[in-house]
Amino acid sequence: MSYFFQLVISGIVVGSIYALAALGFVLIYKSSKVLNMAHGQIIASGAFITYALTGWLGLPIYISFVLSMIITFFLAMSVERVFLRRLIGEPIISVIMVTIGLMSIIDGLIFLTPFGSVNFSFPPFLPEGLISFGGVSISWTQLVGVIITGIMIAGFSLFFKKSTIGISMRAVSDDQLASMSIGISVPRVFGLAWATAGLSAAAAGCIIGNITGLNFETLQAFGITVFPVVILGGLDSILGAVVAGIIMGLIQQFASGYLDGNWGLNGTAEVLPYIILLVILLFKPHGLFGIHEIERV
Amino acid sequence: MSANRWLTTGNYFTSYKDEQRLFFKHLDRTIFSLFLTALFVWPLLFHLSNKYMLVIDNILIAVVAVMGLNIVTGFAGLISIGHAAFVGIGAYTIASFVRVLGDSHVLLTHAWPLMIILSGVVGALFGAIAGLPAMRLKHLYLAIATLSFQMIFTWTINFMDFFDQGQTIAVSRVFWFTGKLARKQHYFFWYYVILVVIVIMGFGVRNLLRTRYGRCLSAVRDNDRAADAMGMHPGLTKVYAFALAGCFAGVAGALHAYVYRGVGIESLSLHESIIYLAMAIVGGLGTLNGSFWGPAAIIILELQMETLAENASSLLPSGMNLATALKPLSFGLVIVLFLMFEPRGIANWWRIVRSYTKLWPFRY
Repeated sequence: MSYFFQLVISGIVVGSIYALAALGFVLIYKSSKVLNMAHGQIIASGAFITYALTGWLGLPIYISFVLSMIITFFLAMSVERVFLRRLIGEPIISVIMVTIGLMSIIDGLIFLTPFGSVNFSFPPFLPEGLISFGGVSISWTQLVGVIITGIMIAGFSLFFKKSTIGISMRAVSDDQLASMSIGISVPRVFGLAWATAGLSAAAAGCIIGNITGLNFETLQAFGITVFPVVILGGLDSILGAVVAGIIMGLIQQFASGYLDGNWGLNGTAEVLPYIILLVILLFKPHGLFGIHEIERV
Repeated sequence: MSANRWLTTGNYFTSYKDEQRLFFKHLDRTIFSLFLTALFVWPLLFHLSNKYMLVIDNILIAVVAVMGLNIVTGFAGLISIGHAAFVGIGAYTIASFVRVLGDSHVLLTHAWPLMIILSGVVGALFGAIAGLPAMRLKHLYLAIATLSFQMIFTWTINFMDFFDQGQTIAVSRVFWFTGKLARKQHYFFWYYVILVVIVIMGFGVRNLLRTRYGRCLSAVRDNDRAADAMGMHPGLTKVYAFALAGCFAGVAGALHAYVYRGVGIESLSLHESIIYLAMAIVGGLGTLNGSFWGPAAIIILELQMETLAENASSLLPSGMNLATALKPLSFGLVIVLFLMFEPRGIANWWRIVRSYTKLWPFRY
């Protein structure tokens, strides 16, 4: 039984990171209907900027964590300004392809730095060892990761509920024309959506980097794994992203805990999310919490 | 059609049948046949080394695959981020025969045209299966569905012992009437095979657009509700588009397996799918000649970047890995710049050149 609870704990840890990664993705989709294929690369650059600040410039880790989020905030905003702003109103395939192009460009830029080939890890700043109770254990890095994720998600929901900018972002995602007519600058909201997505991606990157080490492959793979999560939760639902993230984390942990090694299976955690994704697309395309506005053919 | 060529200022068709002709003038037909003859004759005149012949084969294989992608993404407007998986299904059809029969079985070495056709059929089958979500989904959701098809394909190959966990499965050189092909003739021989395949398939695509089904594809792309109201079945049309794309990709995959004399998963990854999409976009979506420009442009760009990285790496500090960086960087830049400044691709430049020469020496 403690094995089960151990899986639940690690599922929640992985899932909360998925939730944070999916949050940024959903933000961009919700406001501007853009499917951001470069999200994994933004997550990776957030983590690498943090490392560069703390490892090379010698800043304290907490300050570089915050600084990296700010830098990624402006980076994502300028990406939107330079590349995506021109494509408003273009066909969807162009917009998706531009984000794929961005993914390639950021890949190239990261390969120019040492991060592309060498694995780094953050200097340890949390106590070593495990916290265990009743046979179930969790490491400090994981615990702090979950706590930070929780705080970030709570902060974002408050931001969308209470602040004027958050409310205007929700308004734009609801109806662009109506929000324009009451004086919301829609392009500015698009920029802000990218910026906040960048911010949350940087946070996710730092948390993943802290748990697994700074490997470019691992970090950017989150950009693809985020797809099953957002489809399960509904592409335009922030609550859905959080719930589906945790569900997906649990599913992956249970798959690798119970399926692998039996019946000659292994590595099921990598493929199960995509099978679930296909099944959901076939039977319930708007996901758990998405708006029922899927156009059927 | 017999009108004086110098006096025609535009296309004055008097019937729909005229408009749908493959060649508008006898001159067109002559130029095209001369061009084809040139394509078949030049390797006999200039002997290229194996290295360059492989590059050309490579481009031509990509042309076959991109023609398929152009059907599904260009003509039918369905974004497919899993095209390399379809190519992989063709390649792994060959590979599974190798695993079952051994790589020098007569079916693989002598009956290779049959194997290529079979790969196309298997590709079409899987294309139709993967296209089933298209019955219900559109746009973004469909793109994600094809993406997950790619991920499942990669995982399955990596997982299965039958496919050697994605490691290269060797395919032996084939026999021609003169006996087993020598190493020197290999790429040379396949150049001709792929060229013939491209000519057949190119005419297929060109003719497809003149048929009922071909026009269904673009009708569904432009407005699926209107197409539905006019009695077409949008869902089936989309599945059909996926099946066609799968067929082209399957043939490309079989050719890839034979030319490289092996099948491995690393040349069939998600990254390759994205490269195919980039080729289609750089060439020009929804145009036939774009399927030729795009692969040529992207593959030549990649080669140039490799040479550049080799030359520049002596100047830079040794820690920098320029070759791995320059490829994605240049590739991404090309996609983004094309989408921002020339969304209609190189095919549009071709169109401009053609309309310019049509009235030469006069201008508009």
